[in-house]
Amino acid sequence: MSRRSITFTINGEKKTFEIEPGEKLAKLLRRKGYVGVKEGCDEGTCGACTVIIDGHAVFSCILHAFLADGRDVRTIESIGDFDNPHPLQAALVEEGAVQCGYCIPGMIMSAEALMQEMSNPTDDDIRTRMDGNLCRCTGYEKIWAAVKKVAQTNKS
Amino acid sequence: MKLTDFRAARNLAEARAILKELGPVGLPMAGGTSLVFTSEKDERVAVDINRAVPAGIARENGSYRVGPTTRLAALQMFRGDGWVLDRVAVRLATQQIRNMSTIGGNISRVFPWADFPVALLALNAAMVIAGDAERTLNADEFFDGQPARLFQPGELLMAVKVPALTAGQGFGYRKQTQTSAGFSLMTAAVFVEADGNAVKTARVAIGAGVPFPGRATGVEDLLKGRKASEAAFREAAGKGLAELKFKGGDGMSEEYIGHLAAVLVGDALNEAWVAAKGGAA
Ligand SMILES: Cc1cc2nc3c(=O)[nH]c(=O)nc-3n(C[C@H](O)[C@H](O)[C@H](O)COP(=O)(O)OP(=O)(O)OC[C@H]3O[C@@H](n4cnc5c(N)ncnc54)[C@H](O)[C@@H]3O)c2cc1C
Ligand code: FES
Ligand code: FES
Repeated sequence: MSRRSITFTINGEKKTFEIEPGEKLAKLLRRKGYVGVKEGCDEGTCGACTVIIDGHAVFSCILHAFLADGRDVRTIESIGDFDNPHPLQAALVEEGAVQCGYCIPGMIMSAEALMQEMSNPTDDDIRTRMDGNLCRCTGYEKIWAAVKKVAQTNKS
Repeated sequence: MKLTDFRAARNLAEARAILKELGPVGLPMAGGTSLVFTSEKDERVAVDINRAVPAGIARENGSYRVGPTTRLAALQMFRGDGWVLDRVAVRLATQQIRNMSTIGGNISRVFPWADFPVALLALNAAMVIAGDAERTLNADEFFDGQPARLFQPGELLMAVKVPALTAGQGFGYRKQTQTSAGFSLMTAAVFVEADGNAVKTARVAIGAGVPFPGRATGVEDLLKGRKASEAAFREAAGKGLAELKFKGGDGMSEEYIGHLAAVLVGDALNEAWVAAKGGAA
């Protein structure tokens, strides 16, 4: 089984990667150092591995890496850091919405995709768009409150 | 399926040429999510068809022409006169799956839990397959067994034509899961056309708790020409499904799934009737 190369934009930079034919995007990203992409279930049911491709939130654990060829990929590494947090990251902290934190990169990527697509999401929109992100700690309410806060600030 | 290689097709002609050259080992791939459920023993070469097969939804006379690589999330977001598939899409799995999966992938290889075959059977949709020649199959023909049987190497699903509902017609949809994102235990989709207070025609389809999605013609026959009422719908659902074979599993008996089917078909008929009479559903 030979390695093959694919090229896509990752967090604004165009890069070429050698991949195995069946390799999934999460495995590729993590072995290339994008370890903010988390792996939970590895079968498309938990959302920890969520990244944004061409504006849409997807599960990178089941996405074949070769389907990303020529596309625009964003991971949590594009979002903000400790010194310069993204408004969503700041809001999650303000709302006390983070416990163990494992689900949070995926949560943020789903929320970011939602905010890119909709300027004034309703509570229902937020719940529907984030229905693929499980959290085993918080009970969701504070996470949704943080997303709502930022999505609504965005609007004004 | 285990992928031993992959190929990208820039357009339809290229996709078809690659698939013909590969023969049975070639696997058209849209969202690629179905590989979560297939055996690793089977070795295939994937062909990315996303740039070859159309995506998008366009009105075409009395129907909507849906490109097979349209993501389920786009069906969920679309609004138009007589368009009902947003209700089917939003109930399917999770947003990320809806962003990845395509309608073509959902119906070209039907898994037991697949949602769209049930809805498309009720709506009497038509599927366009193109290879050296083009042919259109109605939903009953397309889903009369695993649709994969219909495709020769190089042939691809090129369009799904979904009738737009008009005044006097209604659609009802029920899907029972254990958790909101879970696979269906039983799915019911219903199309009805009203003639005053009577049912002119009904198309009733069920899936998940049966061996393969299909029409429940027993229910349809009992409703034809009958005066509409909740009691009539529930009676037709109960009697019309009585002879069918249901699948148990996950701690649920065949009798329970059969009962669930009757309840859901009854609910979907009620919903479709309200819509046909101009109500909110
Ligand atoms: C965790 C999870 C939960 C899910 N839950 C549900 C659910 O509840 N209900 C439901 O209905 N679905 C559900 N799905 C999705 C479903 O099981 C399929 O995986 C999905 O619909 C396939 O779409 P795809 O675009 O990814 O297809 P692919 O995997 O790319 O293709 C599927 C099959 O169709 C063929 N194919 C694709 N496009 C064409 C074409 N244009 N012409 C000819 N052949 C083609 C492929 O060769 C392949 O055999 C779920 C998936 C996952 C991963
Ligand atoms: S790791 Fe991808 S959905 Fe769980
Ligand atoms: S904070 Fe622990 S899983 Fe969400």
